[in-house]
Amino acid sequence: MNDMTKAIFTGDRCLSCTSCMASCPVMAAIKDYRGPKLVAPAHGRLHFSQADIETTLEFCSNCKTCDRACPSGVAVSTLNMLQRAEYYKTHKHTRAEEMLAHNERMANLIRKIPFGATFANIGVNIGKTLNVFDKLGIAGERNMPTYAATPFKNLFRRIKQSTSGKKIVLFTGCYINDNEPQVGEAFVKVMNANGYEVLIDENFNCCGSPLVSMGFLDEARAHAGNNVARILDWKKKNIPVVTPCTSCSLMLKAEYHELFGEDVMYEAAQNVYDAFEFLELLQERGEFNDNLKPLNQKFLYHVPCHLKSQAIGLPAVNILEEISGVKVQTADADCCGIAGNYGFRKDKYEISMKIGKKLFERVKQKDFDKVISDCGTCRIQIHHGTDIKPCHPIEILAEAY
Amino acid sequence: MKISDVIIIGGGLAGLMAAAVAANRGQNVTLLTYGSGSLPLASGAIDFLNAKAPAVAIKNLPDNHPYKKIGMKNIDAAAKFFCEVTAQDNLPYNGKLSAQIPIVTAVGTLKYSCLVPESMDASNLINKKKIYVAGVKGLKDFYASMLVDNLKKYFPAKNFEVATLDLELLGGRDITCMGAARLLTGNEQILADGLKTLNATADDAIILPPILSLEDSNVKSQLRADVIETTCLPPSPPGIRLQRAFTKYLQRAGVKVFGNSKVIRGVVEDKKITGVVVKSVAREKIFYGKKIILATGGFYSGGLIMHEFDKPAEPIFNLPVFCRAGAENWSNEKLFDDKPQGFSMTGILTDENLNPVDASGKIIYENLHVVGANLGGVDFIHERSAGGVAISSAYKAAII
Repeated sequence: MNDMTKAIFTGDRCLSCTSCMASCPVMAAIKDYRGPKLVAPAHGRLHFSQADIETTLEFCSNCKTCDRACPSGVAVSTLNMLQRAEYYKTHKHTRAEEMLAHNERMANLIRKIPFGATFANIGVNIGKTLNVFDKLGIAGERNMPTYAATPFKNLFRRIKQSTSGKKIVLFTGCYINDNEPQVGEAFVKVMNANGYEVLIDENFNCCGSPLVSMGFLDEARAHAGNNVARILDWKKKNIPVVTPCTSCSLMLKAEYHELFGEDVMYEAAQNVYDAFEFLELLQERGEFNDNLKPLNQKFLYHVPCHLKSQAIGLPAVNILEEISGVKVQTADADCCGIAGNYGFRKDKYEISMKIGKKLFERVKQKDFDKVISDCGTCRIQIHHGTDIKPCHPIEILAEAY
Repeated sequence: MKISDVIIIGGGLAGLMAAAVAANRGQNVTLLTYGSGSLPLASGAIDFLNAKAPAVAIKNLPDNHPYKKIGMKNIDAAAKFFCEVTAQDNLPYNGKLSAQIPIVTAVGTLKYSCLVPESMDASNLINKKKIYVAGVKGLKDFYASMLVDNLKKYFPAKNFEVATLDLELLGGRDITCMGAARLLTGNEQILADGLKTLNATADDAIILPPILSLEDSNVKSQLRADVIETTCLPPSPPGIRLQRAFTKYLQRAGVKVFGNSKVIRGVVEDKKITGVVVKSVAREKIFYGKKIILATGGFYSGGLIMHEFDKPAEPIFNLPVFCRAGAENWSNEKLFDDKPQGFSMTGILTDENLNPVDASGKIIYENLHVVGANLGGVDFIHERSAGGVAISSAYKAAII
């Protein structure tokens, strides 16, 4: 690790080649955004040195397509997020931004009320009918993700696992814990089948990704501090931290360090794995349990942007194709457009749907049995744009054990 | 452990071409790229050599030239395959290796090239009565009047007319050709309608910046006059259309294309590379392959580096890099002179199979092949062979 991976030092590597501008999905959708090159490395360098505001910064969705287009290793999107945090030092957040960034806090509040999840789900529906969404600045066209009756952390206590010398810690992430606990259950089943006992660390926070993209950088920094300390504790015990959520894993593995630049963050990152990355490493060592039931199914795989940024290939494709009869076709339709909480904002909804159009058209061809994607909000977007409900690839693998 | 038949490092023209050729031969291909490659900066035209009849001139090159190692049969086959790939994406290319076709640059000079996108082919300009040049309101880097002044030098007897179209592109930013092309993609009627107001006839031509839709443009079919796109400053829609055509071909062929994947070294066993190591976030990942094609480009793309003068290096496999010794041979201070630049000769030397060799001509790795701008010994820019060498070396490396 060295300072060269910290975002703030990467702006000077920009050659102005414009590759990022040519690939930015937001620029293709609207005329207003000045684009990654001009906002991040160009204007950004001035911005950090004096009080100045780039007004079109708000359009960046933090999808990171620009980072991957850059041949010079400029952390373009993270430079944008750092500037956004500067902006909010002197500007107030809207109520929609407050709400959408604090999904973890909201869920924790709801869980303290008896039948809180049920009431919250009803409340959200009533609120939507009464046009409250619109007044708050949340896209009324969307359904808010429904809360699961029982969060994964509670379900987990009921799962019977054999003790094993091989252990991993599951970093559930907010969406799996609060909205789709079945992904967590599938993960435990898969890891158990591979001889691993799964542990949960209730002291983890939300990874901070929704906070970063809404400009709550100080809060994200506090989450990073806590999570990194927890990960390093597990590292001392030689127990890896694994997550099936690709935005959580990118945050823990790369973005903490890019944003905040502390050595411990990089050290912690080395103990964090994406779920399928971990399984693929088992496979390379000959330790993967390939005693899998055949499944005669064809899957369309939407690869999340935040997985592409990790440069680990497509481990889910490699692993799923171990199942006899399984065929995985990648959707190859770029960003889905939702970018976490970006597409939930009323003023960004249309942009988000425009970006997703190519993927929606691909999914609507329906030349497959199921759509799979590792990212919770990508799944929400695909469901919203096509009425076809995707699942996490780990759920498919769990079926085969 | 999955082992690819071929791993290609680099997503520029040479890397994409090698991947397409290998996949077409039924091989299991992995393409590792870092950054979006050279094509967003490219004109889209493929030069083979700056000569009236490039095919003849290639035959007369010295034996150590990459073209001589590739062989005329492979060069022809590469050009044919290239055109098949682009045609499949409704991006027809015109041309042949025996002659060159003119295209109009953004400043109104003519540039000659072997394979050019049909939308840029200016061969017919000479037969036209009147030439309209359409600028676009708010578009930067395209000055229609300057273009006319320069183009008049080639066609002094012709009538020229400058027009400016308002395509409602203005928002909160400068408009580049790529920005315009992306906003017009799927939304081209405003451009077709604007061009119709010129009332150009079948005897006329309309020259415009390269802003036609990035896919399936239907503007030309709505007009009687020829519509000719110029080259432009980056990001360049003709280069990006070419990149998209290849990317779609690779997707259909099942090639695994992994972005953001910077290869930092090889896994070496004796005289073979059995895998390549990618610096992923937080750790390294090894991709295993039976054959490796190095298409990482020259100095500009980071395929060659030089931290100490006279000691150029290839950063992944540490291959020996040829360069012209001595500071006096390094550069020609007249940048646009008709003499080559010494530093441009820098690169890796190979044998007939494009295997890298050391100073004594001994092969370094048997299953590693070097293609495109990595190759040394010639100034591709000066002799205008970069595109042709890229696709034909890629073709040969992929079929060996």
